[in-house]
Amino acid sequence: MIRGIDVRLAACHSCELVVRVPDFEDHAEAACPRCHASVRFRKRNARTYVVALLVAALALYFPANALTIMYTEQFPERRADTILSGVKFLWERGSWGLAMIVFAASILVPVVKLGALGFLVVSAMRHSAWRPRARTRLYRALEVIGHWSMLDVFVVALLTAVVQLGQFARVTPGPAVLPFAGVVILTMLASASFDARAIWDRGMCE
Amino acid sequence: MSDPVDPRFEKLPVPVARQRRPGWPSAVWLVPILAVVAAGVLAIRAYLSAGPTIEITFDSAEGLEVGKSDVRYKNVPVGKITSVEITEDQRAILVKVKLESGAASLAAKDSRFWVERPRIGVGGVSGVGTLLSGAYIGVDRGTSTDKTDRFVGLEKPPGVTHDQAGRRFRIMAVDAGSLGVQSPVYLRRQQVGLISALALSPDGKRIDIEIFINSPYDRDVTDTAVFWNASGLDVSIDASGLHLDTQSLATVVAGGIAFGFREGDPPGHPAAEGAQFNLFDDRTHALARPDPTRLPLAMRFHQPLRGVGSGTQIDFEGVRIGQIDAINLGYDSTTHGFFSDVDATIYPERLGAAFAALVDEGRRRGKTGPQMLQALVARGLRAQVRSASLITGQLFIALRWFPGGRGTTPVAERDGVWVVPTERGGTDQIQDQVESIVAKIDRIPFDAIGGDARDAMHAATSLLGHLDGEVVPTAQQLVGQAGAAMAALHDSLSALRDNVAAPDSAIQQTTRSTLEQLENAARSLRGLTDYLQHHPESLLRGRASGPEPR
Repeated sequence: MIRGIDVRLAACHSCELVVRVPDFEDHAEAACPRCHASVRFRKRNARTYVVALLVAALALYFPANALTIMYTEQFPERRADTILSGVKFLWERGSWGLAMIVFAASILVPVVKLGALGFLVVSAMRHSAWRPRARTRLYRALEVIGHWSMLDVFVVALLTAVVQLGQFARVTPGPAVLPFAGVVILTMLASASFDARAIWDRGMCE
Repeated sequence: MSDPVDPRFEKLPVPVARQRRPGWPSAVWLVPILAVVAAGVLAIRAYLSAGPTIEITFDSAEGLEVGKSDVRYKNVPVGKITSVEITEDQRAILVKVKLESGAASLAAKDSRFWVERPRIGVGGVSGVGTLLSGAYIGVDRGTSTDKTDRFVGLEKPPGVTHDQAGRRFRIMAVDAGSLGVQSPVYLRRQQVGLISALALSPDGKRIDIEIFINSPYDRDVTDTAVFWNASGLDVSIDASGLHLDTQSLATVVAGGIAFGFREGDPPGHPAAEGAQFNLFDDRTHALARPDPTRLPLAMRFHQPLRGVGSGTQIDFEGVRIGQIDAINLGYDSTTHGFFSDVDATIYPERLGAAFAALVDEGRRRGKTGPQMLQALVARGLRAQVRSASLITGQLFIALRWFPGGRGTTPVAERDGVWVVPTERGGTDQIQDQVESIVAKIDRIPFDAIGGDARDAMHAATSLLGHLDGEVVPTAQQLVGQAGAAMAALHDSLSALRDNVAAPDSAIQQTTRSTLEQLENAARSLRGLTDYLQHHPESLLRGRASGPEPR
């Protein structure tokens, strides 16, 4: 099997024009003759981006889980919940389904995303040939579930806006919301920066 | 570069070459750096905002809930309860509290913690707000610079917090009465402080009370101030009548301490913090001027002294000059009689100018105190139990004059005790009179009178029986006969009516024929008289021929 890069062919990312890319000197880059977008074989600095964003996401993951994400005042009770304590509270109240959803969306998904992306990028960097097809499926799955990982942020934002009953009930976002949103956004960016073709660069099915 | 171009792709367009912008690929590393910094800042902030964790033990965790109850200083939340557990010895509740960073100073060694919950007491209602919000832990910040993380919680809010301005004083009391922590302290019936602590002294012989007087009234506590127990209703009935004294309605139930100043005392200087005072039983005792001279007085009464006891007043010319200390019953083996020995104390200064004059006179005549008393006794001074009020039955000992009194008992100074002879008391006389009345009533022969009355009743009864048995039947008989007589009479009358009134009765017919004959006779008589009128001569000559007279 021949890759585009092997025969020095590349498709413009903007207009899908297939061009033959000759070698340029340093400090020069190829631009699409039709739309003038830059033309490259692979995403530029993809691995660096992914790694940097993952590290950033990981750094924010700890405050996101350790700090209070939401203050709820439901007269006469006042609660300050981290994500985990919120899940525990829901579970103890018997809302098992809700607890599981929140647990999956807010704790499991970010962890899985961080882990899986880390695995993908490391394996790509090491030019691993291990089951590239499975890894590609994993990447696609990551893209799909990534959409749902903002759930907690949405919940807090919605509750904050909706539940403002003066003295009786009030929801205010806690300091963990921003780090949590950061984790979600950074993992999304990281997964978008990842170039799935890198999986195949050495693991090609001959 | 030197790769040969695949002939299949030779026709494909070739991208234009352009200057690559000087790449800054590592700029993306700014993102994780920023993220790490942000996380670090958050972590540091969280660490800094987390104050110390302290442990407080309470007897009861009533109303305390993890996550719900908080710790409040002056009603501002300063910490959260992180756990409520039972201590290892299962005797108390261990509450773990995470204080906020700004409240770290609350962990001073002498800080006090208590559970604020609704309390209803005599002094008022507190903690009503916690009915809705739930209990919380209140804290009074200590002034100590030493820190600790273990506290023993109070069961009640402290009466005085460290930030209150004022001074503490110590009061020694023999009896706590109804006093308790938080009982008010009054000055001129105005609450100026409260009891902040109350405990039995280590030797158990008195009560140590710590009071806290709010500023600025603490300056009113001078070294001449006297304190008394203002608890409850001070109702006293004595020879001068009924007294009712109370500071406020609250003290009636909750008790309290009042302080004031004796009349005539110098104003005094404000007492130092922690100064000690004694607690008097009541206002009268507290404000009474101390009596410098005390004379022991002994009296012997040959009469029962019911109603007289320790504290009974001794009155001389209307002045309360002392009181009884003790009464002892004695037995005289020569007369085989019982008597009561009364020990009393008198304060002669209370006589004022009179005492001064007596002392003066004694000095002039060169007589000692006992001799002066002997002179008074010789003039008839006697002690007598008297009733101050017949209604209350209150008794007092009066030193009175009995000029014609019985032989004077010599006054001897017995172990420095002055003895005053006694006279049988007024109540005794009344009692004697009542007794004699009762005795007279006793002598009335109620039994005999009753017997006579019974005999009379017997006679009346037999008379009535006689009437019943004999008179009544006769009377009945008489009535029967009278009835028969009446019937016969009735019969006679009806027969008479039949005989007389019936038209065909014999009497009627006889009467009618008799009347007819009488009529005829009358007619003949009239003819005769007419004739005679016309012919009066016929009386002499006889009847002339001629027509027949009509």
